[in-house]
Amino acid sequence: MLIPRKVKYRKQHHPKRSGQATGGTTVSFGEYGVQALTSAYVTNRQIEAARIAMTRHIKRGGKVWINIFPDRPLSKKAIGTRMGSGKGSPEFWVANVKPGRVLFEVAGVSEELAREAMTRAIHKLPLKARIIKREEGDA
Amino acid sequence: MSETAKLTAETRTTFGKGAARQLRRAGKTPAVIYGHGSDPKHVALPSHALGLLIRRANAVIELDIDGTPETVLVKDVQRDPFLQIVEHVDLVILKKGEKVEVEVSLRLEGEPLSPANATIDVAHVLVLVAATNIPQYVTVDVEGLVEGDHVTADQLVLPEDAELLTDPETVLVTIAVPAEEVEEAPAEAAEAAAPAAPAE
Repeated sequence: MLIPRKVKYRKQHHPKRSGQATGGTTVSFGEYGVQALTSAYVTNRQIEAARIAMTRHIKRGGKVWINIFPDRPLSKKAIGTRMGSGKGSPEFWVANVKPGRVLFEVAGVSEELAREAMTRAIHKLPLKARIIKREEGDA
Repeated sequence: MSETAKLTAETRTTFGKGAARQLRRAGKTPAVIYGHGSDPKHVALPSHALGLLIRRANAVIELDIDGTPETVLVKDVQRDPFLQIVEHVDLVILKKGEKVEVEVSLRLEGEPLSPANATIDVAHVLVLVAATNIPQYVTVDVEGLVEGDHVTADQLVLPEDAELLTDPETVLVTIAVPAEEVEEAPAEAAEAAAPAAPAE
């Protein structure tokens, strides 16, 4: 599972969820991509589940890229704990995804197989997403 | 090879985001034309026709700017990543017989020997080519290649008058056997039991 090797501060504020993605909005490596249509915190477990769903469906051949990294820790208070007594302990690692961001890319398989694999991946994610294809003009 | 399309452009006299949004609402796309030391010209182009033209890379357009003809090359396209609409286009003026530096995409042909797979490492190559003869894509033949083989830029077959500007030793396509998906059930169970806390 994806996790930062080292962080400067264990507990951070919640990342901002407003606005649109400003970078990583085109298919850069593969032929097809999964593009977010809503903002969400995508955890490392969800990223891993989506990756497994894709790679297991593709079986052989093809290549999958993960364009996001869960670099923001989210904390959570233990169940039954009264309010106060400081911030909870770090619980999740999330990627702050905004609309327009390309999350995964796939190459080396037929369009039909890529779409099916990416649909399975989208089902594992806490956001609405669409499948996009690399355009000729994209760098 | 590139085909020239014709579009009618209107000169823009209003600028800024308000004017640009008004134009887009009216079905037009703001664009700028520059090159060859001339002053930039700000124009508006019909959005739908332009959208169809720029679906192919390096489109060459014959513009009619308020009665003045001008041949231009699409240099840059700004899209809204979410709505996928074309927000603005940069066009560069072309002179007759001029050669231009353009990025041309690669397209694979054939199948490497199973179970190897061909992966494109670099999707575009930079070529110097006559503006009227820009190839839509460059074909890379991977038929019969085996694991460990690779295709470098100097192995590409370009059109006659095209000159490769990308480093000839750049590896464009590699042939490799994809790694099998390893079952990680025990490791995942262990991680679930003891979730990793962020390091101090």
